[in-house]
Amino acid sequence: MSDNDPGRSLPAFLAHAVALERESAERYRELADVMSVHHNPGAAALFARLAELGELHAGQVEARARGLTLPSIPPWLYQWPAAEAPETGPHEETHYLMTRLEVLRYALANEQRGLDFYAGLARGASEAEVRTLAAEFEREETHHVEVLRAWIDRALTDGGDGPTPEDPDPPNLPE
Amino acid sequence: MSTVETAITLAPKQYKSDVKPVWCPGCGHFAVLNAMTKAFSALGLPPEQVAVVSGIGCSSRVPAYTSVYGFHGLHGRALAVGTGLKVARPDLTVVVAGGDGDGFSIGGNHFLHACRRNLDMTYVVMDNEVYGMTKGQASPTTAADWSASKLTPGGPGMRPFQPASIAVAAGATFVARCFSGQPNEIARVLVEAVRHPGFSFVQALSPCPTFCPEQKEWKHVVRPFDAEPTDDPAEASRRLQADDGMSTGIVLAARRPSWAPSSGGASASATTIEAIEAEIEA
Repeated sequence: MSDNDPGRSLPAFLAHAVALERESAERYRELADVMSVHHNPGAAALFARLAELGELHAGQVEARARGLTLPSIPPWLYQWPAAEAPETGPHEETHYLMTRLEVLRYALANEQRGLDFYAGLARGASEAEVRTLAAEFEREETHHVEVLRAWIDRALTDGGDGPTPEDPDPPNLPE
Repeated sequence: MSTVETAITLAPKQYKSDVKPVWCPGCGHFAVLNAMTKAFSALGLPPEQVAVVSGIGCSSRVPAYTSVYGFHGLHGRALAVGTGLKVARPDLTVVVAGGDGDGFSIGGNHFLHACRRNLDMTYVVMDNEVYGMTKGQASPTTAADWSASKLTPGGPGMRPFQPASIAVAAGATFVARCFSGQPNEIARVLVEAVRHPGFSFVQALSPCPTFCPEQKEWKHVVRPFDAEPTDDPAEASRRLQADDGMSTGIVLAARRPSWAPSSGGASASATTIEAIEAEIEA
């Protein structure tokens, strides 16, 4: 167990960081695809943009790990604070009529959990190298949070939520 | 926590096809698909040695979304197809997947006999207690008083089917329940299920956000079984009978000889239609 503790070795920390970024980007890509399938082009475009940014960031983290041998950790042995990697958005918080603001707020919550994860390690990791790198990643996540907040502010200023997606054939639910 | 060793060679993503799922955003089936590909990756399975077989329904679309061999069969007949495939090609890892309507209603009898046959394959049922693909009819696992659909005013009025209990009673040797909100735990259970020598049944609680939005509350009520897996079917039955259907984890992991054609059925060497016909004629 301790071999996988992200606070106790730099390779374990970077293995967690790579998984955190990759799984987040893959979830955004999945959501972009499914929003496209469900004819919600606004949400699809935003999720696709988030996926691109996530993939970019994942590549940067992988570059930091170059030259190190990262442990091969089975999915269930990652030491995440919750059931999934912190920046991976929960499926149950999405729906097919998501508006721009809902997508941005969903992404903000994801980034905030990523920030909290790195902040915890920046303060609590037993390995000094991990604390240093986690603090650097915390600063990057803080920047992402600020960017998303700015996008949300701009969306509100530019006319609120944008056009509300419509479904001409909604599910058969009671009134 | 599992002690199983893993042999990751391909990334989970490499077990996915390029086909985009048509499931509704928020559907639990995404998590089960992701867990399945994570399990294949953790097991180090070459894609050409895996087959995913399904029937009909939302969850039964899963063969299209994986890059292993797949067979999207008839409604309720996934286990029959999976059984035939495993008998003909025992070297393949066969994973049968589907939903509660497909598996427990039209396919209910196949479920019983697959359990007692104990063929070495895995059956994953994504249980959302509703027929989602056809717009929200009650399924065998729907609560008796579920009245959220106009199609069953007042609810179906019948005691819901208890898949895990029935699997144990019918002779399954590996029985587990998981929740889609915990995909990494599903991956762990699937690894154990695939490695189990015999019929492994995994009930994955998988909310339908479109027709059963109240299932979003499941994440607040699921919890792990308060005991380690047992190898005693009687004890597993007792635990399941005392449970409300929301406990998760492996309930039963027992050993019993797996049925194979060479142990009393047709010849194992007859793997083509022509060979089987020749054997019957002889």
